[in-house]
Amino acid sequence: MKFGIFFELSTPRPFTREAEWHVYHNALEQCRLADQLGFDHVWAVEHHFLEGYSHSSAPEVFLSAVAAQTQRIRVGHGAVVCVPEMNHPVRVAERAAALDILSNGRVELGTARSSTWTELGGFGVNPDDTKKTWEEFVRVLPQMWTRDEFEWQGKAFSMPSRNVLPKPHQNPHPPMWVTVTSPGTELDAADRGLGCLGVSAAGYEEQERRTKEYHRRIQHCDPVGGLINDQVHTMNFLFCDEDYRKARDVGVPMVNSFNIANSHLYWTREAYPSNAYQTLGNAGAGMKPKKTDADDPSVAKGLPEGVGVGDPDHLVETIKRWESVGVTGINFLLNAMEMIPQQQVLDSMRLFAKEVMPQFQSAQQRSAPVYTPAIIPSFKKGSF
Amino acid sequence: MLRGNASISSLAQSAATINQYSQETIEFNDVVCFQMTMEMRNQAREAVLPPALHPTIPASLSLQVWEVGSSIWGQFTMAVCRIACRSGVRARGFTSRVYVSSESVAEKLATTFGFPASVAELSFRHSYDGADIHVIRDGEKILSVASLNPEPMGLNDVQYTGTLSLAHTPNGLRLVQLEAQHSCSRVERLSSRLVTFVPEAWGNALFDPYTVVSSSIANQSVSFPPVRFVCKPDELAFTGTEAVKIDQ
Repeated sequence: MKFGIFFELSTPRPFTREAEWHVYHNALEQCRLADQLGFDHVWAVEHHFLEGYSHSSAPEVFLSAVAAQTQRIRVGHGAVVCVPEMNHPVRVAERAAALDILSNGRVELGTARSSTWTELGGFGVNPDDTKKTWEEFVRVLPQMWTRDEFEWQGKAFSMPSRNVLPKPHQNPHPPMWVTVTSPGTELDAADRGLGCLGVSAAGYEEQERRTKEYHRRIQHCDPVGGLINDQVHTMNFLFCDEDYRKARDVGVPMVNSFNIANSHLYWTREAYPSNAYQTLGNAGAGMKPKKTDADDPSVAKGLPEGVGVGDPDHLVETIKRWESVGVTGINFLLNAMEMIPQQQVLDSMRLFAKEVMPQFQSAQQRSAPVYTPAIIPSFKKGSF
Repeated sequence: MLRGNASISSLAQSAATINQYSQETIEFNDVVCFQMTMEMRNQAREAVLPPALHPTIPASLSLQVWEVGSSIWGQFTMAVCRIACRSGVRARGFTSRVYVSSESVAEKLATTFGFPASVAELSFRHSYDGADIHVIRDGEKILSVASLNPEPMGLNDVQYTGTLSLAHTPNGLRLVQLEAQHSCSRVERLSSRLVTFVPEAWGNALFDPYTVVSSSIANQSVSFPPVRFVCKPDELAFTGTEAVKIDQ
């Protein structure tokens, strides 16, 4: 079981420049502490225009600072939105490689296609095309990272022969992941040999079903790159205190606040009919309420099952349950809208590292490679 | 967090009255349902919703126009204007105004489901090449939509969200939640243009649907189940939601 932290860089209203400064610098302090405490990953998402929910529109810049201020924690650049209107694939390859060099080979690259009209509409993206362009991106990135000459004629982009530089520090290239919001995307990840990076929390039962099928399918994958990344990481929240009740009193409002901010986003499915978007957002969509009718809007009063809020014993029990359903890593959101004072966030991380993490593998054990080498497909010029 | 700040008393001026909750499910068959979503500028996003509801980012307005072939209420045509919103964390539409071709249906929609419904002259022409919609109230054209180039879609590709309408109910002034069930037999996506839209006639002079996001037309049957939940208009859904008692 690996432990990570991840950042949406959610920001409280009013959006003053000072508020954004504090969000960014508090997050950097949490990254430095996570590095010291033995957390395995720090992830920063890419989102645009998502007021309050996420002000992380330039994650590669934030992660450069993380790389410079940490020694060992792996740097999760993701998920990068794989649509050409937002990111040209050459720029994705270049930025990830540069970050990999600066971090001494600590980059993990997440890929995604965005699920909000807020973002897709803002960049003039046709929602029908995002699955296709994501497919093209994940196939060309390993080629750009490993070939001296790369040329391409595709749907998302075309280019004459060029040497995309620099090359990443890791050989053959950084591990790749796919963010999973909609059910079924975990199978897309498995079939391509990519790690499954869950960003919408599911209940145990649903996660077990998805994870089991993922691990089965990836055994027979057709890898897009030089690594098979057979890992399922999920997202969760973290607030740990010796006093269970206090942990709940502090942690539950944070969870609810995050989910409410998430729900404000204008989902692509709601705005634009397309067979490429079959689910309505991810605000607790897969999370299983402990009680009451699912249509009742008051369900958010309580916490869904499996949330990482509580005392150390509760968290050990919760994480062991996740482990038992095939989850290999959990990435924790530590705060939302700065609702929890920074000192309490840092104390929660320290207590988690002291009391909970030792109940699982040691940091040294966790740092062992989990990737299987693969042969990079030999195509050069594009087959689209 | 973002939440509405419209004056409830102001919104209540057009609120319908439900004297008694119905236990009946109303079925609508041979329905042709046109739906169009539009973005609005954000300056009035909080001002058009009651405090119980959260606006979307960006603010969005949707129009639905229904041609109902058969129902226990007979044939009718209806146009519904809604503001996209969230009740708790759930996607909903807040009904700002409804126009119906039949006075008796308008009354039933108001007294059964709390729709702010009144009568207007509706024209809904749909064919293989697109659709044209006009709504005329008291001699004034208040809505005109031109749609072209239908393209076939999957039956599950269009999303219909639940509706909240402010109404006087046995619980008091409440947002009445309606979870209509749509079952499609044909869905097409269209390219649409909003030719005429009179904001005041659709419930609020602040409405500003400046760009069309999408539109669809679907053949379907729709059922309106009995109202199960209502919500206090000045309180968030997490605490303000009330289950409807059947014997009320």
